[in-house]
Amino acid sequence: MQTLQHKNLLGGIYIDRRKFLLLGAVAVAGLTFAPAIKPAFAVSKLEEEVKKRLGVELSAIKETAEIKLTVPTIAESGANVPITVEADIPVEKVERLWIFVDKNPTPWIADVKFTPHNGQVFLSTRIKMGETSNVRAILQLKDGTFVMATEEVKVTAGGCG
Amino acid sequence: MATGTAIVRVPKEAQKGQVIRVQMVITHPMTPPRRDPQTGQETPGHYLTKLQLFYNDQLVSEMSMGGGVSANPFIALPLRVESSGVIKTAYEDNKGGKWEKTAEITVK
Repeated sequence: MQTLQHKNLLGGIYIDRRKFLLLGAVAVAGLTFAPAIKPAFAVSKLEEEVKKRLGVELSAIKETAEIKLTVPTIAESGANVPITVEADIPVEKVERLWIFVDKNPTPWIADVKFTPHNGQVFLSTRIKMGETSNVRAILQLKDGTFVMATEEVKVTAGGCG
Repeated sequence: MATGTAIVRVPKEAQKGQVIRVQMVITHPMTPPRRDPQTGQETPGHYLTKLQLFYNDQLVSEMSMGGGVSANPFIALPLRVESSGVIKTAYEDNKGGKWEKTAEITVK
């Protein structure tokens, strides 16, 4: 009776109990690794973008107080959010500055390469924000490490239209 | 103003070794690339992709951006001045437009 059931289940192939268990184990393993094959379900757009552009995981980047990220707490219009980034880290040690907005359709906003001629790490600009979200300023240092500052901006009217 | 024109503002005079701010406003629509959810039609958008800052023909900073920067972008970057000279910004968009704008500074 049991054999018959297996036959029906596996399309007429005869299978004994041992093989059946093995198949079950394979199926479970397949389910476990499925998220790795389709990262859209497990990894957010921001994490994907950071990995693609910076080559490191977002979770590996440490927060630091040395970067001062100035943003409004509440932005009336998401089309024009002023942001200012200033860092106490000497410009000689800095390679690049990256700006990300967590929930934008394209989280990457801009990146700036600095040289010692800049004299200071500074950027002021205006960005678009689709909805209330975190803004991140990530500094890529010459020694290959990354540090970041995060601030939340509440957006009352989205600006990605 | 026509797309691509810019205003670059720097202090007229500065001390040697002083870090000044180069402020600029560029006239540009900065429309991001988007896909219509109903028809699936894609529009490429029209936005600035690259901006370079030169001081006496030496590259100081290079900025890459996408449609995430606001329309008519305002950008301020630092610059350490050592001698009188010309500050130049050169920028281009995704439709092949290329422009540049200069400003002069006197260093005492």
